Amino acid sequence: MNKIKHTMVALSVASTLVATTALAQSVAIENVTVHTATDAGVLNNATVVFGNGKITAINPSVISAQTVIDGKGKILTPGFIGALNTVGLVEVGQVKDSRDTRDDKIDILFDPSFAFNPKSTAIAFARKGGLTTSVVNADGGEGIFAGQTFNTQMNGEWDSILSNKGALVVHLGASHEGSRAVGMQALFTQLEDAKQALIDDKDKADTDAVNDESKILNAVLSGDKILAVKVDRASDILTLLKLKQHFQLQLVLIGAADAVLIAPQIAAANVPVVMNGLRNLPESFDSLHNSLDNAAKLQQAGVKVILTASHGAHSIYALRYVVGSAVANGMDYNAALKSVTVNAATTFKIDAGVVAVGKRADLVLWSGDPFEYSTQVDTMWIGGEQQSTTSRHDKLRDRYTTESNMPRAYTR
Amino acid sequence: MAKFASCAVAIAVSIVLMGCQPTEQQDPKVTINKNPYPSTYQPLVSQSTLITNATVLTGTGKRLNNADVLLVDGKVSAVGVDLVAKDAIEINAQGKWVTPGIIDVHSHLGVYPSPSAESHSDGNEMTSPNTAEVWAEHSVWPQDPGFNRARAGGVTTLQILPGSANLIGGRGVTLKNMPATTMQAMKFPQAPYGLKMACGENPKGLYGKRKQAPMTRMGNMAGYRQAFIDATQYKRAWDKYEADYAKGLNPQAPNRDLTLDTLKGVLDGEIIIHNHCYKAEEMAMMIDLGKEFNYHSGTFHHAIEAYKIADLLSENGNCAAMWPDWWGFKMEAYDTVIENVAIVDSAKNACAIVHSDSSTTIQRLNQEAAKIMYSANTNGFMLTEEHVIGWITSNAAKSLGVADKTGSLQAGKNADVVIWNTNPFSVYAQAEKVFIDGAKVYDRDDEKYQAISDFLLGQE
Repeated sequence: MNKIKHTMVALSVASTLVATTALAQSVAIENVTVHTATDAGVLNNATVVFGNGKITAINPSVISAQTVIDGKGKILTPGFIGALNTVGLVEVGQVKDSRDTRDDKIDILFDPSFAFNPKSTAIAFARKGGLTTSVVNADGGEGIFAGQTFNTQMNGEWDSILSNKGALVVHLGASHEGSRAVGMQALFTQLEDAKQALIDDKDKADTDAVNDESKILNAVLSGDKILAVKVDRASDILTLLKLKQHFQLQLVLIGAADAVLIAPQIAAANVPVVMNGLRNLPESFDSLHNSLDNAAKLQQAGVKVILTASHGAHSIYALRYVVGSAVANGMDYNAALKSVTVNAATTFKIDAGVVAVGKRADLVLWSGDPFEYSTQVDTMWIGGEQQSTTSRHDKLRDRYTTESNMPRAYTR
Repeated sequence: MAKFASCAVAIAVSIVLMGCQPTEQQDPKVTINKNPYPSTYQPLVSQSTLITNATVLTGTGKRLNNADVLLVDGKVSAVGVDLVAKDAIEINAQGKWVTPGIIDVHSHLGVYPSPSAESHSDGNEMTSPNTAEVWAEHSVWPQDPGFNRARAGGVTTLQILPGSANLIGGRGVTLKNMPATTMQAMKFPQAPYGLKMACGENPKGLYGKRKQAPMTRMGNMAGYRQAFIDATQYKRAWDKYEADYAKGLNPQAPNRDLTLDTLKGVLDGEIIIHNHCYKAEEMAMMIDLGKEFNYHSGTFHHAIEAYKIADLLSENGNCAAMWPDWWGFKMEAYDTVIENVAIVDSAKNACAIVHSDSSTTIQRLNQEAAKIMYSANTNGFMLTEEHVIGWITSNAAKSLGVADKTGSLQAGKNADVVIWNTNPFSVYAQAEKVFIDGAKVYDRDDEKYQAISDFLLGQE
């Protein structure tokens, strides 16, 4: 079995960017308002130049590019990052053959990147919302471990996966059957066992004895791999903060409905929170404090917030409206922008999410305020390559709004 | 005496045929109480209110800039410029927008409330493909915190429907979004009942798995047809009873049947159809089904493919209630286009509606409409705010049969009004003040007007 698994690793679907971006032309966008998502903040009337997939210059004294675009009246932002969704894993939710998000057997080793379909129509649809990258994870299985994440570009290319075997996802909290304590204990025990095994094996030279599960847990224990835990209740979060302290983990919280009750502790522990900013109902006894202003409150308390749309594949294009809602409910505008760009990039190890020299040219030129309904994507680039924002939805619309003497089936 | 005479004549013809016994007095007439759980709704005490200097969208397609809206005795008294009112509370709404209260034609608040505990999961009687006998109002938990959240989103009227597992799922009820301890105290006075029907995947999927009908879409159609055949017979029996009794005869009343009571209400034109139906070909058949049994096919909900048959819907006087961007969760939701509502709306005399079916999106139906408006305008449409507001106000009121009472800012209509901090089609828009029948029921800046459910009170 080990051999097969090693072969799978060798066949890793992640690939380098070189192939797609080698031919990318150099582009300069002039006279544009740039929201950098860096400490440089907003640059007015600026010029951004990119080529070979990377941002090469900001406000250079001499502009040298094959294509020059006038960005007057428009806004340039880093491409948005969809954190923790199932894009590319599901085409139609209730069509089982088209869905690879759930499996009873999902465990620590589970790598959903092997199920990724870059041609899923949800990817083209998501580009309408300015998404250039996604952190993808599965819905999970029967156990607490819901597999690992992978990062993908949203360009729909065969080689769009950037990296796999990212964060290890764990589901804890309210248990439909039985006690939540079982899940928390299982996590603690597994980590404790792995830690003990590391101590015991210290003097052994034969590292092959370490199985694949242990390797992942060891990576979690060494802080190389993020432990991303889906959890809502504040008391559970506090337990996890202790776990983080005990094992020195790189912890990320997902959901965290009632995090607002213990925001200072979460901030002090440097734990980022991935949250859907539109949750504001007491969906369960774990989430009595869901509120539209939670993102603002957490951010103000010093928590690194990563805003996300509801977990799924088809609605993630609407991420920018989630951000708008957070701003409407008190979140600082620039902090909100960072929540879907640089915060996600640094947390999930994506070399993008800012407009800065040397970073990947994942950029969106917007007709106006990127969070507004009245704004549309003007042009977007992933790794310097210009992207289409049309999808089959547009073709359907056009088919039924174009006059024809023939049945609609003849309109392409 | 005339009645007795007609009976006597009948006896002369044939005693057997008429079943009429001249020596017998008429038994008391059997009548069915059509309103056994009547509304006890009372508007809150209100003062006259004059909202001034606002951008007003009337819900009837008009936009008035720097305009005033006067609310008196729970009704809209006037909409215009430079209104004067004695003894009215004046609210300066400079820079703000005013619209009719938002109406959601498709909600499960109260029947699928928060928290989503099994104990509260009362929205779908999944025990038989035809459960016309159940009434959603009997499942409503008025303490659902979602009602308060929806009110903070400007929702003043909403229809609570049963779920879509059954071909015929039961009656829906239209509520005023007023905090109350009983369902009756929320019930919209004189609003007609709705009947939830469902096409497509849900009924055939659920019952097919149980190896019972319906297992297919043709099974779905057979199920509706059989139900309305039974209802037609039931109606005929009751109509005959009524007619015979009116003639002075002493007929025996038909056995009462709760399921058929509701379907008869549809055939009598008293109950409005609300049909969960995604696909173009299925909506077209449901229109014909209504013609086959002589009732109107009402409003199609979740009408993902309505844009494919926009003309058919408008020609038949059907409303279609839609989302902007829900798609992909099942096959019948695969062909979504964001501009669906706009395309349906572009047909002559169309009735296009944005609905929620969600305790979350009900809080921002204005913004759901905004997604459509701006996406459509980017693709060749020329939609205005004053037109689009009708998708979530007047058209929704028409669908529910309450357009004579609410859904527009016209003199004499219920004073269901929202004051927005900005253009309601902005992502930054928030309802600042909400009025139902002229009384303020929500104020973003004043906790005294922010209702909190019993459930959330005192939670730490």
